[in-house]
Amino acid sequence: MPQANAAPRQPCHPMPIGALIAKQNRDGGWPYSRGGSWTEPTVYAIMALFLAGEAASAQRGLAWLGSIRRRDGGWPPRAGVDLSTWVTALVALLGPGKIGAPPYGRAIQWLLGTTGEESTTVYGLREWLLGNSTPSNDRKFPGWPWIPENAGWVVPTSVAILALDKEDRRQPSSQVRHRVDAGRQFLLSRTCDDGGWNYGSSRPLGYPSRPYPETTGLALAALRGVRSPQVDRALAMAQRFLAECRSADAMNWLRFGLRVHGRLPAGYCAPSGLHYRTIPETSLDMVMTAAEQGRDLFWG
Amino acid sequence: MYPKPTRREWIAGTAGATLLAGCKASGPPAAPAAPPQVSIVRAAYDQSLYDTVRRILAGHSLDVRGLTVVLKPNLVEFEPGTTINTHPLLVHAAYEAFLAAGAAGVRIAEGPGHRRNTLDLAEAAGYFRTIPRFEDLFVDLNLDDVTHVTPRTQFSGLRKLYLPNTVLGAGLLVSMPKMKTHHLVGATLSMKNLFGTVPGGIYGWPKNALHWAGIPQCIADLHAIYPRKFAIVDGIVGMDGNGPIQGDPKPVGIVVAGSDPRAVDATCCRVMRIDPFRIGYLRLAATDVTQIAEQGIVQTGETIAAVATPFALIPEFQSLRLG
Repeated sequence: MPQANAAPRQPCHPMPIGALIAKQNRDGGWPYSRGGSWTEPTVYAIMALFLAGEAASAQRGLAWLGSIRRRDGGWPPRAGVDLSTWVTALVALLGPGKIGAPPYGRAIQWLLGTTGEESTTVYGLREWLLGNSTPSNDRKFPGWPWIPENAGWVVPTSVAILALDKEDRRQPSSQVRHRVDAGRQFLLSRTCDDGGWNYGSSRPLGYPSRPYPETTGLALAALRGVRSPQVDRALAMAQRFLAECRSADAMNWLRFGLRVHGRLPAGYCAPSGLHYRTIPETSLDMVMTAAEQGRDLFWG
Repeated sequence: MYPKPTRREWIAGTAGATLLAGCKASGPPAAPAAPPQVSIVRAAYDQSLYDTVRRILAGHSLDVRGLTVVLKPNLVEFEPGTTINTHPLLVHAAYEAFLAAGAAGVRIAEGPGHRRNTLDLAEAAGYFRTIPRFEDLFVDLNLDDVTHVTPRTQFSGLRKLYLPNTVLGAGLLVSMPKMKTHHLVGATLSMKNLFGTVPGGIYGWPKNALHWAGIPQCIADLHAIYPRKFAIVDGIVGMDGNGPIQGDPKPVGIVVAGSDPRAVDATCCRVMRIDPFRIGYLRLAATDVTQIAEQGIVQTGETIAAVATPFALIPEFQSLRLG
C-alpha cells in the first residue's frame, strides 16, 4: 500500500495556530486543556509551533522546559513535582538543537539508566525468595515505567524507544541500540490476543484483555522497521481501529503507527466530526500532518 | 500486568490487615460517634431517578448549602452498552439534586486509570448527551493542578502523594461508583473509586505506584485523606464475575448511599453476598469494627435481605462469599 507522504497536501484539519499560541501560559508552558503548565503538552505544542514557523512562542516553551529540568537529568511531568518521569523521553525527542547538548545528553543517560522495576535484579531476587516465578523475558527485555521504581508499560516504553532510536541515528551507540532492541522485544511480548496493545497488560490474571487504538498506534510507531507476526496482527487491528475510531487522540497515534509501516492510505484524511479538545490532540494533529508531508519530527 | 502485589502478597496483606483491624478493635475505645446511616433505595435508569436522588439526600439531612460539591463517577473503558461505567443519568440526577439542595457549585470529576483520553471516554459512556454543558462541568483529575499531601494513616508507606486541587478543595466529595466485583480486591465500590483521584498525569496509566504500595493500603490511605465524603453507589445494574471491566451485567435495581463510605461499601458487599470483613481495605479503614458491622449501621429504605443479589465471583475470590 502506498505511503501517504508521497505528495504534499493541505492538512485535513488546519489548526488555527493563533489559538495554540493563545493557550500558552504566562510561564511559557501549556496545560493539557486548562490550568497550569505540563511537560507533555508543552513538548507537542513546541513541535507544532516550530513546524508552523512560530519560533518566538516555541522558544518561550523551551525556556519553560529548561527551567523545570531536574538535577538527575530527567524532567518532571509539571513544575513543582520532584520526580523525573517518562516525559523525559518526550523532551529528548526535541533533540540537542532545541534543548541544548548537555541537557539532551543527560536526558539520554537518564533514559538509559531507567528500567521497569520487574527487570531489576532486586525484584527478581525478591520474587525468587517468595517462591514466585517471573517471566524470563521481564529481565532480558526491560521496558520503561511511567515513574521510576514502577513496572514497565507500553506508552513510556514506546516513547523512550522513539527518543533513543532517534539518538542512535544521530550518534550510533551499541548501548543505545541494545536498549532500543530490548524495548522492542518488551513490546512484542505484550501484545493482546486480538493483536495490538492496551496499556501493557494483555492477560491480567490470565484473562485476555482488549487492545486500545491509541497505544496500538504508538507501539507500532516504536516498532518502525520491525517485521514479525505480532506487528502484522497489530497493523491489521490498527486498520480496523482507523475505520471505526472517533477519538482525535487515538486517530493521531494510529496515523503515526500506520504511516511508519507504510499502511496509512495515501492521502488519508481523518473523518470529520472528531473533537480536538486538548493541546496534545490539536498539536499532534499538526505534527502528524506535517510528517505525512515529509517533515517527521519524531524521526528526523 | 500487575507485577506487584502478587496474589500471595495480597493474601498476606489482607491477613495483616485483618490482624491490624483486630488489634484496633481490642484497643482503647474510641470516642462515641453517631452510627453511620446507609440507605438502600430501589431505582431505575429513567426520569424517576431524579426524584429518587433528591429523596436520598433529604433522607440523610445533608447540608450542602454554600459548599462546592465534586461528583466522582467511575469511568473506566469505552464499551457502549456495557455496565463498566457509572450511568450518566445517575450522575446528572445527583448534579441536579445537589444544586437544588443549595450547593454553591457542582463539578463532575474523574481520572480514569487505563485510558488517557478521558473526554472521549466520557463521550462514549453517554455523559455528553445526558448532561448538558458536560465539558464545562467536568474536570479531568488526571490532568488537574496538584498539591502534595502526606497520607495521614500511612498504611501504604507512601510519604507523599500529589492529588488534584479540585478534589482537595471540595466542600463535599461524592464518590459515585458502579457496584462491581474486582479481580484484585474483591469488590470495587465507593472507596476503591477514590483511585480515580490520583492523577495519571503524575503517576501514569495505570497508576502503578499504587499497586506497588499495596492496593488495599492505598485505598485506606485515600479514604483518610479526604475528610468530607458522601457515597452514592450505582447498583441499578452492576457487574459481577471478572470485574471491573470484563464481567457481566448484574441487575440489582438499587442505589446505596451514605456519609460513611466504609459503611456504604460494607452494606453493598452484603447485598452482593460478599463478606465485608474479608475485604482488606475495609478492615484497614475501619477504625472501629462497628463501622462495617451490620449491627453498627443504621439501615434505612430497603432491607439487605430484600435486595440481596449474589454476585458471581471468580475462582480466586470464592472465599469472600458471605455465609
